Amino acid sequence: MIEDRRTLNVVGVAAALLAAAALAEPALAQEAAAGAVREYGDFPGIGGRGAVWIAAQVHLMFAAFVLGVPMFAVVMEAIGVANGDEKYDRLAKEFTRLLLIAYSATAIWGAVLVFFLTTLYPRFWTHLAEIFEVSMWIYAGLFVFESFTLYLYYYGWDRWKPKPAKYGHLVLGVLLNVWGTAVMFIADSWLSYMMSPPAAVTPDTAPGTVQLWSAIANATWMPINIHRIIANVVFGGAVAAAYAAFRFLHAKTAEERAHYDWMGYIGNFIAISALLILPFAGYWLGREIYEYNQSMGITMMGGFMSWLWIIQAFLIGVLFLAANYYLWVGLGRIPGGERFVPYTKWMLIVLVLGVIVWATPHTMIVSRDELTAMGGIYHPFLGALGVMSAKNTAVNLMILTTFLSFLMYRRANKDLVVSWAGTGTFAQGALLGFAAVIVLFFGIYGYFVDPIVRIGFSVYMVLAVLAAIVAVTVIDVLISRGADSRGAIRWGSMPERSQYALFVLTVTFTWLMGLMGFARSGIRQHWHIWEVMRDTSEWAATPALGYAARMISLCVLIFLGMAAFIFWLGGLVEKPALVAKAAPHPAPRPAEPPELSPALGD
Amino acid sequence: MTNIKVIGVVIGTLLFYTLIANAIPQVQSEVPEALTFVGAVTPEQLVTAGEDLYQGAGGCTACHGLGTRAPNLATDEAGAGTIGARCGTRVPGEDCKTYLHNALITPNAHVVAGYEPIMPDMSRTLSATQIWALVAYLQSLGGEVTVRSEDVAAAQTEAAQAGATGGAAAGAGAAFAGGSLDPHELLSAGGCFACHKLGAEGGPIGPPFDGMGARITAERIRRGILAPNADTAQGYAAVAGTMPQTFGEQMNAAQLEAVVSFLASLEEGM
Repeated sequence: MIEDRRTLNVVGVAAALLAAAALAEPALAQEAAAGAVREYGDFPGIGGRGAVWIAAQVHLMFAAFVLGVPMFAVVMEAIGVANGDEKYDRLAKEFTRLLLIAYSATAIWGAVLVFFLTTLYPRFWTHLAEIFEVSMWIYAGLFVFESFTLYLYYYGWDRWKPKPAKYGHLVLGVLLNVWGTAVMFIADSWLSYMMSPPAAVTPDTAPGTVQLWSAIANATWMPINIHRIIANVVFGGAVAAAYAAFRFLHAKTAEERAHYDWMGYIGNFIAISALLILPFAGYWLGREIYEYNQSMGITMMGGFMSWLWIIQAFLIGVLFLAANYYLWVGLGRIPGGERFVPYTKWMLIVLVLGVIVWATPHTMIVSRDELTAMGGIYHPFLGALGVMSAKNTAVNLMILTTFLSFLMYRRANKDLVVSWAGTGTFAQGALLGFAAVIVLFFGIYGYFVDPIVRIGFSVYMVLAVLAAIVAVTVIDVLISRGADSRGAIRWGSMPERSQYALFVLTVTFTWLMGLMGFARSGIRQHWHIWEVMRDTSEWAATPALGYAARMISLCVLIFLGMAAFIFWLGGLVEKPALVAKAAPHPAPRPAEPPELSPALGD
Repeated sequence: MTNIKVIGVVIGTLLFYTLIANAIPQVQSEVPEALTFVGAVTPEQLVTAGEDLYQGAGGCTACHGLGTRAPNLATDEAGAGTIGARCGTRVPGEDCKTYLHNALITPNAHVVAGYEPIMPDMSRTLSATQIWALVAYLQSLGGEVTVRSEDVAAAQTEAAQAGATGGAAAGAGAAFAGGSLDPHELLSAGGCFACHKLGAEGGPIGPPFDGMGARITAERIRRGILAPNADTAQGYAAVAGTMPQTFGEQMNAAQLEAVVSFLASLEEGM
């Protein structure tokens, strides 16, 4: 009955969305006919901008979660089908259950956003709707497809478990991702058009004359699509890890603790793995922004937003520290893990130094007094650390260090038996060391060359790190074949403090998402649509970081509060079933080695 | 207890990030002030308005002056002097005024050697009047200001005929004190008499307007209005930092100059 109500709720919200879109235009048309089109509405207390900010941000957070989770849920299910291990299938279903109960919230906040836009920014919404109306209809249609595919996927899980029906179920999972990705691509076209409308569009261009495809395929559309796909996986993994941590802390039985310990580990692994490739997508997006409009790029990196990147560096530093801490504490539950513990203090030093260098300001907007005090545009000492050479070096060394933590974790309870174990391990160390030397070499050499040459060095650094990671992983897979186990991982024996690291990770990921959303949206400054439609409201000025931070924290609090509430509600219904199912499979196999990822087993 | 710990970690982390973001310098991206000049605008008015744009909403200082992204304008560039001193010889056949105006609206026509063509077309973000104000300011940096009110009037007429798209917010500045140019009305509208004394009117908190022209120059008065924290009047250190910093944004250039001229003329007590 409860499930039926959920279904009805989501369908109801979807209908509301369609109704909103359908009602908005006639209402606006009537106003236009009367010659009294209102430009802006007002919202009590926080103003129109604040209302839309909250609705858009919270909607995006839920949307990122419901788009990211299906990606790794279906991969988990496929692994379970391939190796016949029930625990992967059970984990995939639990991930999907989180998805189901978060879906209603996504739709509700989407409807709130549409209503706010139509009532608070009618002129802008009319403009956007005139260009994108066809894509908005398609969006609504895909949303319905996505909803019902999700219901089939989740509620048909047990019914279609036996093969060959299971293959059909897997196809449903893939379809769910296809619909979700298509929905996101369409929504991305609207927001990226606001940032980078086609060059031919000017303030005098009638919106009805803008070609739909040229508006969709604008300069930043695809970079944002790719960036969001990866970021959604990061976010989904992080929120799932926090959910697992919460359930771990409240677990009543050893089986539950073991299950949620493992789930938390998987969530963290997914989040951090995807995070490591996210900067490359971010780099592409940044480059496209610069190529589209240098002024916008400079505003983003060196203008009034320059301090934002220092905050970003600090937040990512927290992510690196918390993720590594979680792994280091996890060594304690692996027999043999104690061998690697002494190394962690040195790794901590590298990480902390890396964060300090990365968070060092370089080109900032400064006052005349500050300029005089520094004796130039750069700080006499910190200026040397604030340049890209130092920052790239720091980031790449931090990535290598984090990878080393994963490697230690994977190797912890293994005694290698292959004849070339010593040589292989030496080669792994040499590869990582060589990558570090390359990074340091180009980092130092970068101080002695022109900026245009220095920028190119970052490619060599990244390639060296990626090549080392791939090669070391391949060696590790081969070298671990047939390895003796020092004992099974004691899933469920993680100290409670490690779970709080997962909460810090999730809060930080969520906050970072809000911060980057502010950066992407804020670089338009006082333009609704860059250099096409000016924001003439009282909220046109782009706020300083302090105000933005308060709004972001509020959005994160709303999101996490709602997520906790609906997960708790879901737990009331599903918990008995989970525990009952858990009994025959109390924990992952005792002899399971501490793989880099159980999902990517040897 | 576990729930309280979890909530504590979440709220604590959020507070920590919020505090850090509020502890760093706060820079807001302002909307470029619309310029509406009443009657014949003077070169000085244009220069003042142009400097305001250059230092603020025009976004010029994000590149110019750093020595890496774009040529220095307010300081020497490769031994050729400031922009006002070198603009007349930059492109053969173009005088300084023409060159600077073209450089703002067709910036990639003559990119300075050694720099990338990254300068945006400023006519997409600034009104024609604002662009002339910038030209005047740049000329004033080591050269003679030759922008005249006729240039501005022609630009305003052209913009009005074209629908004034670039200056969509034109007129916003005139809304202050109903667009009045009467200095007394402007001072009243700004609430200046709450702190500054003028004859029998006003309070004793800030330096009196009476005799202000005898104590400080017009330039110093202008700076005191646009950047109140730049200087502290002798004997008023205790109230330093209390003067609002928004008058430069509320008044248009003509109103600002009317107030400055009036205060500079007050050489004796009233």
